[in-house]
Amino acid sequence: MSRLTLRQVRKSFKQTEVLRGIDLEIAPGELIVFVGPSGCGKSTLLRCIAGLEEITGGDIALGDRSLAGVAPSRRGMAMVFQSYALYPHMDVRGNMAFGLKLMGLSSDEVEARIAEAARMLQLTPLLDRKPRELSGGQRQRVAIGRALVRQPEVFLLDEPLSNLDAALRSEVRLEIAKLHETIGGTTIYVTHDQVEAMTLATRIVVMRDGRIEQVGTPRELFETPANTFVGTFIGSPRMALLKARAEGGRFGIEGSGDVALPDAPGGARALTLGVRPDAFEVVPEGQGWGADVVYTEYLGTDAFLYARLGDGTLLSVRTDPAAPEHATGSRIALRPRAGGLHYFDQDTGHRLAA
Amino acid sequence: MPVVHYDSEAVEGEALPPTRRRFTRRGAWISFLLIPPIAVMALFVVYPILSALAYAFYDWTGLRREGFVGLENFRRVLFEPPYAAITWNAFQHNVIVFFVLMVVQNGVGFLLAWCLWRELPGARFHRVAVFLPVVLSTVIIGYMWKLFFHPIFGVVNQLLELVGLGALAQPWLGQSDTALGALILVNAWAWVGFPTLVFLAGLQRIPTEVLEAARMETDSEWTITRRIVWPLVAPSTTVVFILLFIGSFNWFELPYIMVGLDGSPFGSTDVLGLVFYRTAFGNVSAGVQDFGLGSALAVLMFLFIAVFATGWTLYLRKRELDV
Repeated sequence: MSRLTLRQVRKSFKQTEVLRGIDLEIAPGELIVFVGPSGCGKSTLLRCIAGLEEITGGDIALGDRSLAGVAPSRRGMAMVFQSYALYPHMDVRGNMAFGLKLMGLSSDEVEARIAEAARMLQLTPLLDRKPRELSGGQRQRVAIGRALVRQPEVFLLDEPLSNLDAALRSEVRLEIAKLHETIGGTTIYVTHDQVEAMTLATRIVVMRDGRIEQVGTPRELFETPANTFVGTFIGSPRMALLKARAEGGRFGIEGSGDVALPDAPGGARALTLGVRPDAFEVVPEGQGWGADVVYTEYLGTDAFLYARLGDGTLLSVRTDPAAPEHATGSRIALRPRAGGLHYFDQDTGHRLAA
Repeated sequence: MPVVHYDSEAVEGEALPPTRRRFTRRGAWISFLLIPPIAVMALFVVYPILSALAYAFYDWTGLRREGFVGLENFRRVLFEPPYAAITWNAFQHNVIVFFVLMVVQNGVGFLLAWCLWRELPGARFHRVAVFLPVVLSTVIIGYMWKLFFHPIFGVVNQLLELVGLGALAQPWLGQSDTALGALILVNAWAWVGFPTLVFLAGLQRIPTEVLEAARMETDSEWTITRRIVWPLVAPSTTVVFILLFIGSFNWFELPYIMVGLDGSPFGSTDVLGLVFYRTAFGNVSAGVQDFGLGSALAVLMFLFIAVFATGWTLYLRKRELDV
């Protein structure tokens, strides 16, 4: 098993630059998730690694072998597509055997690999069915099986769960995690869903506009987002960004008053505060920033309220579901819990060392 | 026992349950819309076919019907000299036309479709160009190519001389060896746009991700075309194959315009359509005219085409469903 190295990878479609210099090292056996809003280049990057798109700059190497000019089928990779892309005219067995036979394996070996994959994915009773006779979840498993039997060095999965309904999605997500544990191959997984990213990844790569915003474990990204984009992208409901002015240990927000906070970075300055919904607490009037309740949400195990600060910023606050709800339109005071604050530069959005 | 639900309004106020009333009105509409086309079909298609069937069992003198002769006309057309030789000669040519067109017209059609699909340079222009002859009248095409093939002034021979192959120049339509081939090529040239269009539509229906999945497994374009692309396009060929079959055995306009009613030279381009026309309606050169024999030929052609086209369609449809 070898390390996958991306060096200054660039990709342009005519005038449009889709990837603007991607540097990344992926260790053997890692499950890396590319996540980002649509159009951020995550799928393109995956397709470049697969060889389905040619890169216009930089280099991709597997181990010490550069993949420049290497055909997709000769890269030691297998891909699971968003639409599953099963061959409609072949049965399940044929779908899995197609690539194996082309690899020049003996028919005994082909049969053995298919049987093994079918057992793992519970496809054995379906081997003689055509794709159109399968449910969405079953097709998904066949697509995964077709990748598995190739025993690739790297698995590539392009939004594999987006065509499944919500209930099935979490089930298959778990299966993919289990499979990765059993097989242990390097896996690159593309999604726009940060929950998938958080639950599956060894490391997450957050992308925006063809650039990597941050690479790290789910915990790192959640606890120390490198900038406001990562801060708001990871975590649900999203982190509130408050434009505040720090002066002498007090943080003022226009129209909402100011609050004394212990771990304020020194010096008077304007900055952006990032506060997640569970880091807010509702306090008696005068001890926090004044805000108007816009809307409340009761979800059973959780409850949220949405409030508007004096400067118009909308934020969400996680509240105790057992406590009485705040009336819409009522005035409350909010303050962040100690340790629940992220400081960002107001101009660049970069994280400030606390 | 089935439970019938009436809605309350109908039970109170109306004699008929609403579903039945709706059906009646729907039925009236369907009849109203269907009767005119059925009447036209009956008058201009069914009636002539049935009357031809009837004519085939009678003896004819000119346009006057004589006695009932049973299957005599069929026997003469198929087994009695000189008719039998003419019929079988023409049938052989139809078979040749069919198989050569099947390979050339459809083969080139698939190749062109593939090139258009891969968006090779100029694809945009050629997508239109390839289909253009299909919409031209056969009369124009036949006349134009007759000029092209002219032994002295024809573009074909002049081009051959221009590129130094003057030795190959010959009277294409004037000799038995080349006349049928030339006709077939003209037909292929004129009609290749149709299979191209159908194949192209079939190719474009293949999901990109399926092809990419194949590219992840092999770098051989040939393997992908043979194992993935062709099987997925094949179902769309049914209509192409069937229409080509019917067209080949009904072939008439193009040979009529380019080589005349006699299938000249020396019957080397004679096909069933021409034989039928000559026999039924006569010919300046032959002068022989027999409605009975002509009708018998027409009936035989109809039966042959109907039986094979139906059987083949059923077979191909079944294959379509399998994919």
